[in-house]
Amino acid sequence: MTTITLNGKSVTVTSEPDTPLLWVLREEFGLKGAKYGCGIAQCGACTVHVGGQAVRSCAIPIGDLDGQAVTTIESFDGGHRVQKAWIEAQVPQCGFCQPGQIMSAAALLSENKAPSDADIDAAMAGNLCRCGTYPRIRAAIKAAAKA
Amino acid sequence: MNKPMIDRRAFLATAGAFTLSFAVPDARAQQTGAPAAPWTAYLTIGADGRVALLSPTTEMGQGTHTAHAAIIADEIGVPLAAVSVDTALPSDPFRRGGAMGSGGSAGVRAWWGALRKVGANARASLTAAAAERAGVPAAEVTIEDGLFLRGGKPLAVTLGEAAGIAAARPVVEGEPKDPKTYRHVGKATPRVDVPAKVRGEPVFSQDFTRPGMVYACAVPSPVYGGDADSWDDAATLAVKGVERVVKIPNGAAVVAATQWAAMKGAAALKVRWKSTAIDGLSSDAISAAMHMGLDRDAEAIVGKAEGDVAAALAGAARTFSADYEVPYLCHAPMEPWSVTVEPTADGGLEIWGPFQTQDRNRNTAAKTAGIVPEKVILHTLMLGGGYGRRLGDDGTPGAVVVAMAVKKPVKFFWRREEEIGQGWYRPAQVARLKAAIDKDGKVVGLHVRTAGPSMRDSFSPGGLPKGELDGSSVQTLTDTRYRPGAYRVDWVRVDQAVPMAPWRAVGATQNGYFMEAFVDELARELKKDPVALRRELLAQDPRALKVIDEAAKAGDWGKPLPKGHARGFAYVESYGSLCAQVVEASLEGGEVKIHKVACALDCARVVTPDGARNQVEGGVIQGLSSGLFEGIEIAGGRAMNTNFDGYRIMRMHEAPHAVTTVFIENGETIGGVGEPPLPPATPALVNALYALTGKPIRKLPISAALAG
Ligand code: FES
Ligand code: FES
Repeated sequence: MTTITLNGKSVTVTSEPDTPLLWVLREEFGLKGAKYGCGIAQCGACTVHVGGQAVRSCAIPIGDLDGQAVTTIESFDGGHRVQKAWIEAQVPQCGFCQPGQIMSAAALLSENKAPSDADIDAAMAGNLCRCGTYPRIRAAIKAAAKA
Repeated sequence: MNKPMIDRRAFLATAGAFTLSFAVPDARAQQTGAPAAPWTAYLTIGADGRVALLSPTTEMGQGTHTAHAAIIADEIGVPLAAVSVDTALPSDPFRRGGAMGSGGSAGVRAWWGALRKVGANARASLTAAAAERAGVPAAEVTIEDGLFLRGGKPLAVTLGEAAGIAAARPVVEGEPKDPKTYRHVGKATPRVDVPAKVRGEPVFSQDFTRPGMVYACAVPSPVYGGDADSWDDAATLAVKGVERVVKIPNGAAVVAATQWAAMKGAAALKVRWKSTAIDGLSSDAISAAMHMGLDRDAEAIVGKAEGDVAAALAGAARTFSADYEVPYLCHAPMEPWSVTVEPTADGGLEIWGPFQTQDRNRNTAAKTAGIVPEKVILHTLMLGGGYGRRLGDDGTPGAVVVAMAVKKPVKFFWRREEEIGQGWYRPAQVARLKAAIDKDGKVVGLHVRTAGPSMRDSFSPGGLPKGELDGSSVQTLTDTRYRPGAYRVDWVRVDQAVPMAPWRAVGATQNGYFMEAFVDELARELKKDPVALRRELLAQDPRALKVIDEAAKAGDWGKPLPKGHARGFAYVESYGSLCAQVVEASLEGGEVKIHKVACALDCARVVTPDGARNQVEGGVIQGLSSGLFEGIEIAGGRAMNTNFDGYRIMRMHEAPHAVTTVFIENGETIGGVGEPPLPPATPALVNALYALTGKPIRKLPISAALAG
C-alpha cells in the first residue's frame, strides 16, 4: 500500500504498484489536468511535481513514490503567478500541453528567481507544444519571474 | 447572404427568445458546380439578454469562436462576455456541400460578411422593439454595452425584454457598422477559452467519461491496411482490470475497466498479422517510384499551361533545373485519437469525439453499426490539436464495433504509437523545376512537374478517378502570382498504400518548398539577390510586392549579419492570403540554430490581432519543425518512428524566441490566417542554410540532408 501527500492531503493509493503516477492521478483520483501524450517521458503533457521537482508522471510507478508529496495543476487555483502570466500573454492554443508546460515553468521559477534563456531552454525542453506556443511560453515565464 | 428570417421551427427557438438564421454560400460547391446549399448558423438573443451563436465551425485553439463573438458583440453593441459560441450538432442547416465540418482556414473569412449583417439586423430589430416599448422613435435608440440608450440616457427596457418583442415582429434590416468603430474586432481581444485552459479544466476527448464506461485500447495492424490473423491473449487477460479482447476492422482492441489496464493488456497481446501486398514497402522504394514518375511525360496531368513552355526551354540561351523531395509528415497533435460511444436504448448510438467532420463520422458510425445516420447522435468535444488530423474518421469504426460488442459505453483510443503509425499523413512528393533563361539573364519560362500519391483519393477512397488532377498536388503552384513567362505545372500520379489526409496548409507545404528553394537556386545561377529576383517575377503585382517589401524590411534583409549567420527568404500564397518570411539561422556544431523570424502576412483584414499573431507564431514553428526534423520512415510496410523519440518535433530550445509579424490590411477579400503562415517557413530556413553553406537542400528533412 502506497501513501502519498497529494496536493497537500495524505492519501492511500489502491492502484497496483507498477501503475504510472499519471494513471493513478487520472483514474483513481479523477485529476485530469495531467495528460497522456506519449507514455515514454518524451512530451511532458503529463508533468506534475514530486517533492517540488517537475517530473513526467507517465514514467514513474506509483510504488516508487511512498511518502512523497505530489502536486498537480488542480492545486493551483488559477491565481498562481505562472497562470496569471499565461493569461496575460494569451499562451494557449489547443491547450492540451499547457498544464504540463505550466507545471514545468512553476518548478523552474520556484528554484530560479530570474531564469536566463538558457535556463528556460533547459527546464522546458521536455515539454512539447505542437501548436508552437514556445515564444509566448518564454515571454510568460520571464513576466512571471518579475511578478 | 440569404435574407435573414425568423425561423419559427428552429430547434433553438425558446419562449421569449429572438432567433435569426443566416447563411453563407458554399464556395466549395460553387467551385465544383454542385448545388450551392447555404451554410447556416443561428443567432439567438434570450429572455435573459444572453447572445448565443450556434455555428458549424469547430474551435480547435485557433480562436475562431472568439473572432465570431467579437464581430457579434460589436455589431449588436453588447459586452464580449455576453456572447457565447457553440458548435452545433450535425443537422441539415449546418451542412456545407452535404456535410458539416471546418477547414481551409474558412472559420473567419467565410463568415465575416454574414456575421456582420446578422448582427446588424439583430441590432436594428432590438432597437425597434425597445423603442416600441419605451414609446420613442426607433431612430433615436442605440445599444451600448448591452444597454439601450436614447440621448445618452439608458431606457428602462432590457435586452431580454426587447428580444421577446422582436421575436413577434418582422426582422428589421440593419446596416453593418463601419469596422473602424468596432471595439473588439481588430483590437486585443482576450480569447474566451484561455482562463480555463491554464487551470487545466477543459474536458478533452481523452478526459471525457460516461457512467459505467470501459476503455478499449486499439491494437491495429502496424502495416498500413493490414489486419489481425489471430492472437494469443493469455497474458492480456491476466492483467488486472482487463475484461476481453474484441476484433476490430483492422486488428484487435483490449477492453478494460481503466485506460491503464487496457494499455497494459494491449502491450501483452501477441498478435499474428496477416501478410499484405506492402509487407516489403520502404521509404527508399517510395522515393524511387516517385522519381521515376517525373520522367513519365505521357502521364502528366496538366494543372496550368500558359504559353509554350517547351518552346521556351528549347529556345532558351540556357536552362536551369533541379529535383526536390519531401517525406510523409504526421500531424502529431499532442492528444492522441479517442472516441467515446454509447449504445442507446432505441438501438442507436450516442458518440463523442474530437471531430472536425461531424457528418463523415456520423455516417461512418451508422454504416459500421448497420443503422440509419438519424439514429446516431454526435457530439463534438474539445480537441487537443487539429492541423487536419481531426478531419478523418479512422477512430470511429473500431469504437462502434467495441461498443456494440460490450453493450456499454466505451472510450476507444489510440496510443501515441498508433497516432503516428497509422498514417493519414501529408503526402510524400517529388518535383522537378526547369527554368528557361534568355541571353540577358531573364527568366522566360518555367516548367514545374510534381509526382507522388493522390492525397484526395486516399482521404476519400475512390475520390479521384484516374487521369484527373488532384489539386493539392499542385496547390499554390497553379495560382502563384509569379510571372516567369511561359509557365506549365503538371503532376504524375504515383499512388502508394499509405493513408493520407490534409495536413495544415495541405499541398502548399511541399509545393511552397519546391518553388521557393528553386527560386533561390535560380537567383544564385543568375547572380541575383533572392529578394530582387522575386520582385522581378512579381513586378506586375503591387499587392504581392508590398508583402515582399514588408517582410524584407521586418527581417532586416540586406543588413549586416553576425559572423556565421545567414538569412533566407520565401514567399508563398495559400487560402487567399499572401505570406513572406525571413529566417536568420546559423550552424552550431552541426545543429541548426534559428535566431530570428520575420513574417509579413496579407490576409486583407485581421479580426483578432493577438489571436492571429499566435496563429502566425504557431504556423511558423510548425513549418520550421517539419522542414528541419520531420519525416515518417517506412520499412516493412509500416512506420518505424512512431513516438516522439523517433518522430522529432521542434522543442523550446530549438524554436525562435519571437516571430516579428506584420499584418497587411487592405480592402481585398479576407484571407485565411491559420494555414498561410506555415508554408514559407520551411523554404525560408532552407534558403538561409543554402546562403550559409552554398549547398542546396533538395530533400527534406533538413536535419537528414545536413547529416547525409
Ligand atoms: S505522457 Fe508523459 S511525457 Fe508524454
Ligand atoms: S497549445 Fe496545443 S499543443 Fe500546446
